[in-house]
Amino acid sequence: MTDYSGSLSGRSCTAYIGSTTLAMKAQRVLAAHAIASSVTKINSSRTRRGCAYGVNFDCAQQSNVKAILARENISVKEFL
Amino acid sequence: MKNKLIYLDNAATTFPKPPAVAAAVDECIRTFCGNSSRGSNPLALKSAEKIFECRCLLADTFFCLPENVVFTYNTTYALNMALKGIMKGGGHILISNMEHNATLRPIANLQRDGLIEYDTFEAYGKTDTEIIQDIDRKKRPDTRAVCCLHTSNICSYTLPIEKIGKYCHDAGLLFICDGAQSGGHIPIDMKKCNIDILCLPAHKGLYGIQGCGVMLLGEGVSPDTVIEGGNGVNSLDYFMGDDPPEKYEAGTLSTPAIVGLCEGLKFLNSKKASEIQAHTKKLFSHAKTLLEGIPNVTIHDATPGSVLIFNINGIPCDEVGELLSLAGICVRTGYHCSPLAHKALGTYGTGGVRISFGVFNTLSHIELLSSLTEDISNRKLRL
Repeated sequence: MTDYSGSLSGRSCTAYIGSTTLAMKAQRVLAAHAIASSVTKINSSRTRRGCAYGVNFDCAQQSNVKAILARENISVKEFL
Repeated sequence: MKNKLIYLDNAATTFPKPPAVAAAVDECIRTFCGNSSRGSNPLALKSAEKIFECRCLLADTFFCLPENVVFTYNTTYALNMALKGIMKGGGHILISNMEHNATLRPIANLQRDGLIEYDTFEAYGKTDTEIIQDIDRKKRPDTRAVCCLHTSNICSYTLPIEKIGKYCHDAGLLFICDGAQSGGHIPIDMKKCNIDILCLPAHKGLYGIQGCGVMLLGEGVSPDTVIEGGNGVNSLDYFMGDDPPEKYEAGTLSTPAIVGLCEGLKFLNSKKASEIQAHTKKLFSHAKTLLEGIPNVTIHDATPGSVLIFNINGIPCDEVGELLSLAGICVRTGYHCSPLAHKALGTYGTGGVRISFGVFNTLSHIELLSSLTEDISNRKLRL
């Protein structure tokens, strides 16, 4: 099992992505840029559409995360 | 009757599997086989990670994006999803005259129901140029796609998919390729070959286990869904969503089979494709030489590769298969679910005895097969 989560220091933010597959791809892409993250199931009350997945990361990295995922065509529905 | 079986039916399912495949499947079942994309418990997440690892390996091997790797239950499911998803709006499709029933039957059913029309193009025994010319001749204004296999399942005849893909790309047609027999035997680059949808089994040349196949989508290719249901995403919606692969993956995936496929791919990646091809061609050449020396044996196609088909004149192929089976040699006889290909080869009236090789076969296996075939031909062995 590959662990890309590292240790998330500081406040944790979440990128709400949607599918498990794209959330896992996002985690790998971020790891390639030395950004630790972990796949998480988004609280259903936040998605309004039921089950969905995203990645948790250090909030200090939000602008980097936004840019990196956009470059990789991984669409983030919302930053939580 | 031999105590040890010799397996020469690798075109149906490769056997044995590499020990690492069996070990990985065993570990999966015993230690982490949760339900991927269903909740966030540790076993569900571990299963999802293993499945994603397999998507990445397939994407690297066949040159597509990991999110465009759709898991199915076998190649037939993948081809049905591709063909019915692409042709949902009607129109015309071209298939080759070598197709397996996995392609022929869904297309024939759609035509019978008045939903589409299809034609076959001549592929067997033609030059690459003649094949492309026949596709071009049979293309209509409403033709939407070309679907063909890469390598036949009854002989080693292989279609020029790079040239067919280029023609389709230039003509604005979608290209669907059935790689059931070539995947793992011949490298396939979806981008270089302009393949829009590539369908593969886990349990043949990729050395996984039964219960898993894949539909690999080119970038921007989005067939309609054929099977809908729960996929663990957006559960409150009445529809499947737009994002592959989950859009196409209704119901629980076979995590153990996908884990097995992942190990099968690693096993293949530890070898050179050219070595695998050289091995099967060496087996083919040895079999061809020995069988050609037996009176009354006819080999129906001389293309070297992992599959060889023959008959003993005057003895029905099923009788030959049964006698070989009684002697401990596993082959496949009959029509191999490929009426079109048997018509093309001229064996529609008889069927044939198919032997097919894998990486674990040896020259001594071929020698025993040949010796027994000679005994059958001489009627020293009979039912």
